[in-house]
Amino acid sequence: MSKLIYLGCLSTRLYDSTCKNAIKIIQFLDNEYQVIENPPCCGSLAYNMTSDEIMKKHVEFVNDWFKTNNITELVTICAGCYSYFTRYYKEFLGSEFTVKIQHFLQFLAEPQNLHKLNLKYPGNSLKVNYHDACHLRNSSIPIMEEPRIILNSIENIELIESVYNKTKSICCGAGGGVYSIFKENSDYNAKTIFDNMKKGKALLTACPFCYTALNRIRDENNIKKPVIKFEDFIAKLVEGVDPIS
Amino acid sequence: MSDKGKELYNKVKSKIDTVQKEGTLENKFGMFWKFASNMKFRQHDLRYLYEDSSREFVEKYRDQLIAMKEEFVQNMDFYVEKCIKVMREANNMTVYLAKTNEEAQDIFMKEIGETKVIYKSKSNEAKDIGIIDVLKKNNIEIKETDLGDVLVQLFDYKLPSFGIGPGAHFTREEIVAKIKEVHGVELEPKASAIVKYYRETYRKELLNDVKVSLTSANVISAEDGTIILGENEGNISLLTRATEKHIVVCGITKIVPTILDAVLVAKLQTRINNVSFSYISLIAGPSNTSDVQGERVLGMYGAKEVVVILVDDWRTDAFKKDKIYKDFLKCIGCRTCNYACTASRAFGNIFASKYGLGADGIIRDYIHNGIEAAVKDGLFLCTGCENCRHWCPVSVNLGEIMKSIKKEATKVGLCPPPLIEYQQKILKEKNPFR
Repeated sequence: MSKLIYLGCLSTRLYDSTCKNAIKIIQFLDNEYQVIENPPCCGSLAYNMTSDEIMKKHVEFVNDWFKTNNITELVTICAGCYSYFTRYYKEFLGSEFTVKIQHFLQFLAEPQNLHKLNLKYPGNSLKVNYHDACHLRNSSIPIMEEPRIILNSIENIELIESVYNKTKSICCGAGGGVYSIFKENSDYNAKTIFDNMKKGKALLTACPFCYTALNRIRDENNIKKPVIKFEDFIAKLVEGVDPIS
Repeated sequence: MSDKGKELYNKVKSKIDTVQKEGTLENKFGMFWKFASNMKFRQHDLRYLYEDSSREFVEKYRDQLIAMKEEFVQNMDFYVEKCIKVMREANNMTVYLAKTNEEAQDIFMKEIGETKVIYKSKSNEAKDIGIIDVLKKNNIEIKETDLGDVLVQLFDYKLPSFGIGPGAHFTREEIVAKIKEVHGVELEPKASAIVKYYRETYRKELLNDVKVSLTSANVISAEDGTIILGENEGNISLLTRATEKHIVVCGITKIVPTILDAVLVAKLQTRINNVSFSYISLIAGPSNTSDVQGERVLGMYGAKEVVVILVDDWRTDAFKKDKIYKDFLKCIGCRTCNYACTASRAFGNIFASKYGLGADGIIRDYIHNGIEAAVKDGLFLCTGCENCRHWCPVSVNLGEIMKSIKKEATKVGLCPPPLIEYQQKILKEKNPFR
């Protein structure tokens, strides 16, 4: 039996320090979790462009890789991977797919993990918003409560709900591979997400696709409120550092 | 990767350039649409007209509505037959069941006879069934009566518009300038002045000159063959009463099992769009009287004839052959999906087809005109966020249908080239970025 930290292609490619933060946190909570170099892509990005027959072969390849490496559980920091594993791997493989899939947020929200982390914001107080990524709210086991449980457990952190949240949240415009072909889809939608933050001082996201789109829009529109990846936010709190400094 | 795929990708990219260029028709619509969809979006959560919000109203009835629509879809043949029987035998309506759009168009042309002018209400179904196209082809004058559509006609606006408020993107100033140009009448740039002008000029015509009128149906009850039509303006009331022949053309999926189901659907449509229908007509036959010795005579003050053309076309086929757009059969046509849609909010009426805005319009184009049409409409602009599913009162998953159409597009070489590069890297090198 082995436990895998599955970082996902996008984070591995673009967000090295986030990956390191995630590994540090996950291994602090359970040192049985390991990273294996160059895992195969879950296939999420190819899903819309690939026939079921070909996609099934890819999914089988990934499942065989899990079996070869004796993977029984994994935690991923990628919302896309989580969504794809939970929603489509079961459809393609049925009972052949036995790996227990957890997203970083689910893993973190487990009571013993929150207790062990004992998170506290070092300043007086901080109001933050959480952006519900489509991948997480649409998966077969939706993740909507976990980030709220985590944030509400942190001393001196106040969660501000955006005007639209959970299943009614606004998409950042980067899903379905659209960011690579028509990134203009994010121009208006990602900006609207900032507009809907109300009194929050920072926008948290647990999806690397959302982060990429939101951060570009923030830069282009000189928005002061930072976008912070959930893993980085938690890592800073663990270190006792203000995540927005 | 085909040349056609590249060509269509570039076409959509140039449409995006157009929508982003200030002053273009597409840009103007896009700006309006961003505002409108934001307002509509917000009204879902506000207590706008009633004690409960429209969202709470939807949630209260969602399960009932889904069960009812599923019951209909599973037993479509039964309910269509039942509906037609009661319409013919009890309601004195002339009823046709057209297997195809072409058959419906032929029936319609025969039914209008020598009439050269058709007055119509807003009807997305007429577009889907191709009635508008066939009227144009036969040089029959189409007179719109919903003010929004009247304005669209006035401007000769050819681009797709929003089904609920088709002319809402024209400014007051633009409208009065156009009225002056076309009709030579000078008006104050006020909504009330524009409405007054049409009330004074057009209402008389609608009361006196209509021989044949065309409407769709918001919903139809199979139980008693009652057609429900909702409206604010009173145009449908006039078109269905002050006419000789009222022709209803719609798809068979407008049918629901019972009259109470039908009323619920109509109320959901109005609540979702926050337009609180001023009038809801329940039409169960032509006007009639039995006041002379108890003898029933059809055609008193209202319509003399009510003709119903129910159209199957793609619908039964979608169910029986388990087509990828089967879920679409549950749609009640409320258009919630339009303003909750990510791509629609970003791109306005370039993410659309001649059947209307958004995924709904694109899926209809796919059904009628095939995969290339859907790609040209902006199929690949859909992020698959499934906001449509979450906001839909019947939980129709347009996002999943769009994903399936994308797969089909890729199969025939119409996928945008950068996506194919990612796909190839994933399948061959097991990493999209390597």
